[in-house]
Amino acid sequence: MILFATILIPLAFAGYVAARPAKEAKSIALVGTLAALAAAVYALTQFNWSESSQIQMRETVDWLRQLGGLGIQRGEVTEWQGGVALSVGVDSVALMLIALTALLGPICVLASYTAITERVKTYYVWLLVLQAAMTCVFASRDLVLFYIAFEFTLIPMWILINLYGSTNRRKAATKFFLYTFTGSIIALAGLVYVVWKVRGPTGVWTFDIGDLQKSAMIVLSSREQGWVLLALLCGFAVKVPLFPVHTWLPLAHTEAPTAGSVILAGVLLKLGTYALFRFAIPFVPAAAYEYAPAIAVVSIVGIVYAGLICWVQTDVKKLVAYSSVAHLGFCVLGLFAFNTTGVSGSVLYMINHGLSTGALFLLIGMMYERYHTRSMKEVGGLGSKMPVWSTFMVFFTMASVGLPGLNGFVSEFLCLIGTFQAGSWGRSPGGTGGNLGFWYAAVAGTGMIVAAMYLLYMVGKVVFGPLREPHGHHGHDEHASTLPADLTAREIGILVPLAALCLWLGVYPKPALDALKAPSAQVAETVKAGRQAAADFGKPPPPPRVLPAIQ
Amino acid sequence: MTELATTVWQGLAAAGLGAAEGWGVPPAVPGPMWIGLIPALPLLAVVLCTLCAIFKVKSKLPAWLTVGCLAASFVVTLLMYLNMSGSPMLSTAFTWIDVSWGSERSPRNLHANFGFYIDSLTCLWMLFVTGLATLIALYASEYMSHDVGKGYSRFFAAFSLFVFSMACLVMADNLILLYLGWEGVGLCSYLLIGYFYKKPSAVAAAKKAFIMNRIGDLGLALGIFLIFVKFGTVEYAKLFADGAFKEMLGHAMTGTSESWAKIPWDVKLIPILLMVGAFGKSAQFPLYVWLPDAMEGPTPVSALIHAATMVTAGVFLIARTYAVFQLSPSALTIVAIIGTVTALLAATIGMAQFDIKRIMAYSTVSQLGYMFAGLGVMTSVGACFHVFTHAFFKALLFLACGAVMHGFAGQLDLRKLSGVGKMPGWRIVGITMLVGCLNLAGFPLLAGFWSKDMILAQAFITPGMGLVGWVLLLTAGLTAYYTFRVYFRVFVGPQEHHPGDEAHGHDDHDAHGHGGHGHDDHGHAKADHKHEAHDFHPHPPGWAINLVLVVLAAASFAIIPLTFMGKHGGWVGDMVSHSSAAWSAPGEHHDDHAGHSHAAGDTHSHAGESSRSHDEEKLGTFLGMDPHAVMYYVSGVVGLIGIGVAYRLHLQGRTSAATSRADALLPMLGPIPKWAQNKWYVDEFYHFLFVRPLWVLSHIFHLIDRMLVDGLVNLAGILPRALGATIRPSQSGQLHGYAVAMAGGIGVLLLIVLLVAR
Amino acid sequence: MLASWMLAQSDYPIPMTNLTLGHYLFVAAAMFAIGLIGFLTRRNLIIMFLCTELMFQAAGIALVAFSRYHLNHTGETFVIFVLTVAAAEAAMALALVVLLFRRRESLSAEEWGQMKG
Repeated sequence: MILFATILIPLAFAGYVAARPAKEAKSIALVGTLAALAAAVYALTQFNWSESSQIQMRETVDWLRQLGGLGIQRGEVTEWQGGVALSVGVDSVALMLIALTALLGPICVLASYTAITERVKTYYVWLLVLQAAMTCVFASRDLVLFYIAFEFTLIPMWILINLYGSTNRRKAATKFFLYTFTGSIIALAGLVYVVWKVRGPTGVWTFDIGDLQKSAMIVLSSREQGWVLLALLCGFAVKVPLFPVHTWLPLAHTEAPTAGSVILAGVLLKLGTYALFRFAIPFVPAAAYEYAPAIAVVSIVGIVYAGLICWVQTDVKKLVAYSSVAHLGFCVLGLFAFNTTGVSGSVLYMINHGLSTGALFLLIGMMYERYHTRSMKEVGGLGSKMPVWSTFMVFFTMASVGLPGLNGFVSEFLCLIGTFQAGSWGRSPGGTGGNLGFWYAAVAGTGMIVAAMYLLYMVGKVVFGPLREPHGHHGHDEHASTLPADLTAREIGILVPLAALCLWLGVYPKPALDALKAPSAQVAETVKAGRQAAADFGKPPPPPRVLPAIQ
Repeated sequence: MTELATTVWQGLAAAGLGAAEGWGVPPAVPGPMWIGLIPALPLLAVVLCTLCAIFKVKSKLPAWLTVGCLAASFVVTLLMYLNMSGSPMLSTAFTWIDVSWGSERSPRNLHANFGFYIDSLTCLWMLFVTGLATLIALYASEYMSHDVGKGYSRFFAAFSLFVFSMACLVMADNLILLYLGWEGVGLCSYLLIGYFYKKPSAVAAAKKAFIMNRIGDLGLALGIFLIFVKFGTVEYAKLFADGAFKEMLGHAMTGTSESWAKIPWDVKLIPILLMVGAFGKSAQFPLYVWLPDAMEGPTPVSALIHAATMVTAGVFLIARTYAVFQLSPSALTIVAIIGTVTALLAATIGMAQFDIKRIMAYSTVSQLGYMFAGLGVMTSVGACFHVFTHAFFKALLFLACGAVMHGFAGQLDLRKLSGVGKMPGWRIVGITMLVGCLNLAGFPLLAGFWSKDMILAQAFITPGMGLVGWVLLLTAGLTAYYTFRVYFRVFVGPQEHHPGDEAHGHDDHDAHGHGGHGHDDHGHAKADHKHEAHDFHPHPPGWAINLVLVVLAAASFAIIPLTFMGKHGGWVGDMVSHSSAAWSAPGEHHDDHAGHSHAAGDTHSHAGESSRSHDEEKLGTFLGMDPHAVMYYVSGVVGLIGIGVAYRLHLQGRTSAATSRADALLPMLGPIPKWAQNKWYVDEFYHFLFVRPLWVLSHIFHLIDRMLVDGLVNLAGILPRALGATIRPSQSGQLHGYAVAMAGGIGVLLLIVLLVAR
Repeated sequence: MLASWMLAQSDYPIPMTNLTLGHYLFVAAAMFAIGLIGFLTRRNLIIMFLCTELMFQAAGIALVAFSRYHLNHTGETFVIFVLTVAAAEAAMALALVVLLFRRRESLSAEEWGQMKG
């Protein structure tokens, strides 16, 4: 029940916010997100970490079993085979991402306390709905439920950007919606094809992700796998976003309100990588392996290309937005190394990027609230005026740069070493074999240098140097802002947990890595099995179907 | 040159130093947990200083906390030294990174503890790191006193964090933890160079240092990956005990072309990659340009980080993984060449600078070049010995320069100061500076002399390295010249001084510096400078600065006897030769061959006994003489010549601070002095070759991103819109229009159905 | 065939005798044509609405006729639905027409062209 609770609590509070007067909205939203966080923490404690790759906390509610399912009457109850159900369950990867989502919930609400002053109710309602939808994406064990939640996240996000963004918000919101939606539709085609193929002889349509994962790689020829992979990438790579389908991201990030950016960077982008992890690789492992070099090249191009673009930005928010493209390049690179190191690094990267980049967006939002500009030409040298803010800025920048001892390093290092291992040294003691290797890691590694270049450029402009404030900015009188020059206790309060987590995951990542070990190893196994299956495809005797038999 | 290592190996193998007996680190034993206090205490200081910053402490409390913690850390280090046994000790705090895979039969894992590998090399480094850090923190307590209540806590927090990172780097039991320390010291360097963060030049210098280091770090990271992939571990103890590793060392020892062929190319690549990391951190050509700029930081930082400790991390890395460097026939040769080139290049630039702190910076680069050359010619003992002595006298030199800078309001131009050492209250600075200069110049019988000599002699001995030796000898002369150029112009001669640009008082340290310092348009009025400049009085250093200077000067004498202790290259030699850096070079491998005190006859007679005679022939000589025997005299004479030239040009008959006899000589050299003063335009060269193209490329990418990549997306959005615009007029908005269209449409459909159905 | 034979054996209402399907369909077609022509030629919203109702009912007659002809209830069931919906729709539509009339003081359909693209 706890997973349903994490999904339903924000939803219920969204309804409550809608029912109560506007001035209570933020308090109710805060309580709601905290309750969801408590539920997520409870789920963390209930999870059996020693079997972290098992799907635990399974809960299934019959929903549209008639849709493709086969019902068998057994006395009073009907037992259903296949069909669409409200089915949830998590492994450690999903649970950690749910925890991240739940953590960012209250932070986003608190970050919006002073920033959102109009249409407050609508704002918090959609923020809570968004949280429920994102949690549902990670928790769902049913393909239809997943896809509905996956697409539904677009609507709240569209509203958040469209109503609460800055000057160019309408264009950004529309572009964000249409771009990602178009991609997802193609991905849907791919998913439906997989379901249709798996349905094949039995006639029962199963939408259970676990069943599909078991069967898909067997029933798809390598040619079909290639096309399915392409379709899935159309949807998920746009969401990640990978070069060259990333251009919606800088625009959306720049125009979104602070909390929107935090959620976008922190969780929404992870939907893409999570979907790659959950669907693309297990459904079509042979194709994923075959095209891994191409995907890796695209990721690496993204790392370097987006990094260099960051370097010439004047808008801080756009800089951090482009840096997401570069960072998630590492994440995808590690994922497609198909070894334990790379995949654990990649999943950890999802968490870490959510923490550090989320925090950077929060910091930029705090600056924006005070100066109403994001241009590094107009504002800078805040180190002397906002020492606390600057300290956090340097801290999270360093986390983002990948400084050892902070979270970014562990994941980046593991992604790179995973890529490196996946070279032609399958028989070396430290190699795992694969079709990436030295040059992939070396060129991606230049991304570390580029990251230092653009992030230090940003810090050098914004934090260091002589103080520069926008013209006509004398105190805060004209903007009628009540914020003090430096951070308030509320603002410090939302940054401290993120900073603490960054430090913890950097210094003692062992619990997280232990939890990710089994799912990552499973990915490696899946790819191995998938390649074997592709090699055996069509050979007599046909492999027995592993769909559970109908009693 | 590539056959060098082969030759050396043959010499070694013949001398009975095969892989089995010559190099073999004893298996590691568990060490005590209290070793962890060495990094923990500085970390405690970081926390305490941060608390001071949070509670806005307006006293010198952070400094005393730091000094206390660092001193305690030094004491623990001493205890660790006293507790040392023959075997390296392993002490694990907790598991840091651990990823495992593979089957049950062949489990594989990537394992990196937060653990410490303590051997004598670690002890050597930690002793001077913690010792110097304590002294320099004491110095800084006074030096930074203008910033009490402002950046004081921040300074000491970063300072302590540096010591913590350095401890991690040096004490790490695996390469990933070393990498943590490696980047950690880079961060602290960044924070401390950029300490005066309002000054654009300081911020730029900090950024440059970090990025240059990152370039090296990439090499180091790839090297670590490769080590891991090839040997399946990143832990020193496991690596050194690894069967495959030892086998490859054996191949390298055999030294024939067939045995070299048995070492895969990617293993041979490892040292090259590690070397890149070392070059970045230790400011070697071509990655040295950040170090002189790093002088934008406060002087104690320059002394500790950019002279004594952090920049020697590259030497440490190579010394620690010295065995790995034997796996490539060309790695050490490259190290030697790069070191020599750096030494000469930096010395020539140093000769032409006017900013005394920059001269010291270039001298650091040059001396680091010496150390690398030492490693390259296979005297890890000499290199480490030079690191050790250099740490003391270079810290001393920087601190003395810092005292001057502090007292004369940031004045560092040697044309604006003269006779400082004779002014009241400045005696101690003058004398200690002289001690430092003599050491750096290689004045006979001082510590710097012995260590430099060891490298020089070995360069002549190691076959094929003669040219390296000659260049280093030339550099030694240049070093003596530019060192004493500073001393003779600033500390002796007629008394004269012009205050620097902070003459308006010390309340604003932000404008600290020299040359083109930043213009704070909101900070303070320029007029103040001129007004107060008239009645400027230099203020001599207080007790803390003087005490530290005296202690360091005394220490640089005190370490001289260490040269004579032990059997193998003195005390340092003993330490090094019982660690993983224990490779002795030909002609130096006998136990009775104690660094300085050997005689040529000794060496040869023993070598002759224990090895075949043809190996002896391969060893180089200095003009036909045994380098060990004559190098003392040669290098001593070269140093004295350098000092003499400096005396003649910069002290004799000098009447003012601004001019000297050297000015008359400069035109004879044509544009060369100008080129040297402009650092041979290396910065400009990099700017045009790398920075500018990358900048342009970034703009092109940005343009492509907006025009092409996003343009295609927008085009995809425009197409339906254009289609809509063309068919839009058909929507008249009139109900009847739609009704007629519908009726007509139905009619047409019916017709089609009727016709087709037929 | 079997089905109609079985139905013929039961008490099921006797199939139509002298009136053939054609008659019903002719009436339906005529009603539809009247409705269509009325809809296309008149401008008064209420009359246009009545014309649509006429077309609706024409379709209903055809459905019932076919339903009888095929001896099943599908068409009749459907007509019941249509009637219900038509009733609801009539209520809505008349209300809308009244509202529109209040805006422009006219019932002419030409007054409203805001859907122009």
